Amino acid sequence: MNKGRSVKTTLLNAPYVVWSVIFIIIPLLMVAYYTFTANVEYYDISFSTADGTSYSYEIDGATVNNIEEAKEKALEQAGLSGETAANVTFSEAASQSRTEFTLEYFREIFSKDIGRAFGRSFLYSIIATALSLVLAYPFAYVLSRSSVKSQKMQMMLIMLPMWMSMLVRTYSWMNILEKNGLINNFLELIGLEPVEMLGTPAAVILGMVYNYLPYMILPIYTVMSKIEPSLHEAAEDLGCNWLQKFRRLILPLSVPGIISGVIMVFVPSISTFYISQKMSNGKIVLIGDLIEARIKNNYADGGVNVGAAMSLVLMVIIFICTIIMNKFSDDDGGNIAI
Amino acid sequence: MKNEKKNVVELRNITVKFDDDVILDDMNLSIKDGEFVTLLGQSGCGKTTTLRIIAGFVQPNSGDVLFEGNRINDVPAHKRSVNTIFQKYALFPNYNVYDNIAFGLRISKVPEPVIKERVAEMLKLVNLEGFEKRSVDKLSGGQQQRVAIARAVINRPKVLLLDEPLAALDAKLRKDMQNELKNIQRQLGITFVFVTHDQEEALSMSDTVVVMNEGKIQQIGSPIDIYNEPQNAFVADFIGESNILDGIMKEDFKVCLDGYDFKCLDSGFGKNEPVDVVIRPEDVDIVPEEQGMLTGEITSVTFRGVHFEIIIDVQDFKWMIQTTDEHKVGEKVGLYIEPDAIHVMKKSKYSGQFGDYSSYSDELDELSVVEESEDE
Repeated sequence: MNKGRSVKTTLLNAPYVVWSVIFIIIPLLMVAYYTFTANVEYYDISFSTADGTSYSYEIDGATVNNIEEAKEKALEQAGLSGETAANVTFSEAASQSRTEFTLEYFREIFSKDIGRAFGRSFLYSIIATALSLVLAYPFAYVLSRSSVKSQKMQMMLIMLPMWMSMLVRTYSWMNILEKNGLINNFLELIGLEPVEMLGTPAAVILGMVYNYLPYMILPIYTVMSKIEPSLHEAAEDLGCNWLQKFRRLILPLSVPGIISGVIMVFVPSISTFYISQKMSNGKIVLIGDLIEARIKNNYADGGVNVGAAMSLVLMVIIFICTIIMNKFSDDDGGNIAI
Repeated sequence: MKNEKKNVVELRNITVKFDDDVILDDMNLSIKDGEFVTLLGQSGCGKTTTLRIIAGFVQPNSGDVLFEGNRINDVPAHKRSVNTIFQKYALFPNYNVYDNIAFGLRISKVPEPVIKERVAEMLKLVNLEGFEKRSVDKLSGGQQQRVAIARAVINRPKVLLLDEPLAALDAKLRKDMQNELKNIQRQLGITFVFVTHDQEEALSMSDTVVVMNEGKIQQIGSPIDIYNEPQNAFVADFIGESNILDGIMKEDFKVCLDGYDFKCLDSGFGKNEPVDVVIRPEDVDIVPEEQGMLTGEITSVTFRGVHFEIIIDVQDFKWMIQTTDEHKVGEKVGLYIEPDAIHVMKKSKYSGQFGDYSSYSDELDELSVVEESEDE
């Protein structure tokens, strides 16, 4: 009977396994493949001189423009010139390509502008995550303690913007912040100088916070609403004032929600390209923008490889951050898994 | 001697309304120091609300809550020297057994060595030595209950409030815990205010039972008083089994039931006043037909282990009688009742609602539904 059940479980799992192989494992391997391999073009040139000596050379495709140049280069390398060179017979001259292991693209990441973009992404997404947490936590607490009816209503209000396309949401903010936007119009109306808002780091961070705030509220709210009202009462009963109750009970019990929320805001923030593009008019370049630009603009020319390398590094960074966050939750003894 | 003790908690003219529902209706209650008081009633009778008023989780719409003579209506829960044991224990899942028990002392900044000593003392009291490091999630219901007791009692409260603490335990464990709670109360001399819907629990544990219904106190008294001298049909029916009949008080010490004049021990009613008469099933003897004061036919016999439960139809009123003698359905028998088995009560709004066993099985169903939906 046990066996029957396990067969059934395996069958039920099969679609998910297939799904994850096709959409998770294979893309991951492809990213790694593009990162660490280069498509090298070269010319295979073989020839023999009149006296019967044969030569064979491999000419790097990047150093010459066409096969004639490659031939010349091969002769040069053989040290032949003049008459001898004129009398060689080419037995083989063809353009070839092969895939080679390389760290070249990886190394490129450490270039100045990519490094800066990484740093900027990291900084902005940490600020955005922290701001989201500060905004979401009290809100989630109040939400979890309000009446069921008003909880539903407020939940609706949080979810409502998420039903819209992120595109529309971000564009609306552009409209608000723009030089001739809502805020500046208002400032003008009351006789103040217009303020340049779009294109500032603050605008980009605002975009992140606005777009991802629900992902912070939801997990924290979920964890908090699982805290039984009788636990609140028990804490009060045992002499806790509000602050003590919060520190000794609510905060420790909500750590798992905080962790989930932080990960769910930090990850899309650090890898976003769209928000930064729109909210800064392309002035502020985050790592996501660079990845997009490389892949879009120089696809054939190694762009996809550099893009893959950047993605891979980004993934590793996120992975490490997640592990650290989870470690933090284990140490704190948060028992409610989410 | 008990009367010399002072009141530790007093509720004066307490009224509580949730929206338009009156939960407690002008309630007055005094609880004496060191007493084991049980608030007994069905779900929705206001017993838990009463407890929560004392704890400070509910504010009465009107009336005063007094603690050792001082009005504490405006004192928040965390500043009251009472502690509560919650129905579902409400242990903190983020702390282990030791930290749960030490919680209250840590809040009041008791030095750690003292805490250590007192937690050890508590663990001994509730028989949980060696469980210090255990996670509370990994404890059985009974063990969680003990931790909850220790967590509350360690603070040495003047009054311990217990909100149906045994409801979630199985029958056997409940009996053990009843004894243990009673022992703890005797050892520590703390006032216990215990809420339950289980009348057996109330009778076996309490010094004083407060029977409540529909937001009003029906009767306050010792378990023996409550059982033997119920004040109205509701109390008589709720506590134990009762046959409640319409009677007429002919004169002092004489009451007429079904056309037969019984001698009784009650007096002080008006001449020919209609009354409710309670006769407990175990107080009726079944005798041969010709020797009975009343006669009837047996309509059902149920074996209950210790005794038989026999329903006898006497002039269309179904009596319940508990006896150790076996009888057969259809037998015609006589009923014999001693004067001290008869308890006469004034008519109340509950008259006629209870005490007839003709719809016996329905009543049982109703009761069990009430118990299941108990979730205050």
